Amino acid sequence: MLTQAELVGLLAEIAKGDAAAFERLYGATRAKLYGVLLRILGRPELADEVMQEAYLKVWKSAASFDPAVASPITWMVAIARNRAIDIVRKRGEASIEDEPEALSVAADTPPPLARREMTEELKRLLACLGKLDPEKQRIVLLAYYSGWSREQLARKLDIPVNTIKTWLRRSLLEIRGCMGS
Amino acid sequence: MFEEDQETLAAEYVLGTLSAEEREHAEALRSFDPEFDAAVKQWERRLGELNVMVEAVEPPAEVWDKIKSEIGVEAPAIAEAEATGDAEHAADLESSEGVDAADFLFVEAGSTQPDETAGQDAETAADEMAAPPAGKRAGVERGADIVRLRRRVGRWRGSAIALAAIAAVLAAYIAISQVKPDLIPPRLRAVGADLIARTMPTPERGPTDRLVAVLQQQPIAPAFLLTVDTQQRNVIVRRVSAGQENGRSYELWLIAGRSTPPKSLGVVGSDEFTERPLPASVDVDTLRAATFAVSLEPAGGSPTGAPTGPVLFTGKPVDSLPAAPPPTPKT
Repeated sequence: MLTQAELVGLLAEIAKGDAAAFERLYGATRAKLYGVLLRILGRPELADEVMQEAYLKVWKSAASFDPAVASPITWMVAIARNRAIDIVRKRGEASIEDEPEALSVAADTPPPLARREMTEELKRLLACLGKLDPEKQRIVLLAYYSGWSREQLARKLDIPVNTIKTWLRRSLLEIRGCMGS
Repeated sequence: MFEEDQETLAAEYVLGTLSAEEREHAEALRSFDPEFDAAVKQWERRLGELNVMVEAVEPPAEVWDKIKSEIGVEAPAIAEAEATGDAEHAADLESSEGVDAADFLFVEAGSTQPDETAGQDAETAADEMAAPPAGKRAGVERGADIVRLRRRVGRWRGSAIALAAIAAVLAAYIAISQVKPDLIPPRLRAVGADLIARTMPTPERGPTDRLVAVLQQQPIAPAFLLTVDTQQRNVIVRRVSAGQENGRSYELWLIAGRSTPPKSLGVVGSDEFTERPLPASVDVDTLRAATFAVSLEPAGGSPTGAPTGPVLFTGKPVDSLPAAPPPTPKT
């Protein structure tokens, strides 16, 4: 994995149309983005499609990347997630209705992951998330990782949707307060 | 004011919990409101770190092959990229989840002292949530092109987000139409019934490329009906049940992309019909992908050429008629 500074440098080159820099950026980030997309989209062929769209957007809008506002990887992940969530929203609730087993939260026995490198920002975010009730932590994280809507969270966790709304709202404002703006 | 409602809209947009309509609305706000856009970016940074927990998965090699062949023909350009993003978004109009009236409780954020053990718990939780799904999710099975208008009509249940400055969010139903306005898709007719079924005041026109938009506030109360004629190069706004401006003016905007400033299509007059020319620079593809919006401005329209008042209504087009045949009309 390249350092953040190297990724910033690559994006600057890409903004000038440097295809070689783009290939390096792809090499350094593809597995992370693909992992994020698979988690949300579930199906590899959809993830493939969104990978293409996301990287094309990165290629074309690299000049709008601002290192003062975002880190390269969070910027790219945001582009990819945004597109993926658009797609799952477009498909609406059909996926739940068609697939009763998806109603249960099946993803809760993960393989242990290796200790990863923690950025300062991540530590701060986790510290703030940790101050939320466990149930609220769970909905925030499930929403982020699975791309679930409030409605889906409500159904899958069997919690009234108004409660989900309230919890999300409180939790997000608490996170903001905790992290400072 | 940029308060909690806006803040949580930005946060939920990034988190991904909004419905299709709410996302559409948030997208439009990003175009209009730099402060909102900045809030979105902040949230992308705040929450984006969670990606660290996600297990990397190697994509198939052909993904890169396809990307590579595409970049051969498309050079980087900010404006172009942004426009693409918006065009993508236009496709999202088609479906949505139900939207309930918002009734949020708000509780002030608690202590601001991060605490280490809590962080570790959260890390464990994040690991669990970030893990790949245990079973293969076969859920996202539907064809991408399920259309269209039918889902929106029944589902729009009013303003979902308690946006302080925004009175209402409108759904826009736009169909590229080669039909007369009185043959507007029956699903729309079910919404606007007699209002929509009346013909437009331009009966001499033959079949042309025509965009039809219904802007509505409630399922039974369409506010505006737009007809965009791409051959005559004009837009006709019909007031249906929009509220009174009280000394101010409704102004219609066309948003072609995030990097392009909203273009004014003019003030909506107080008569039932207002006809306005389309800007010469706007092509049909742009119209299909655009967002239409109505803001409330000082009398006579925005003094600055950009929206200054609350954006009351936004909507994005779909670019086809519903595939299903009309049901038997009620008489």
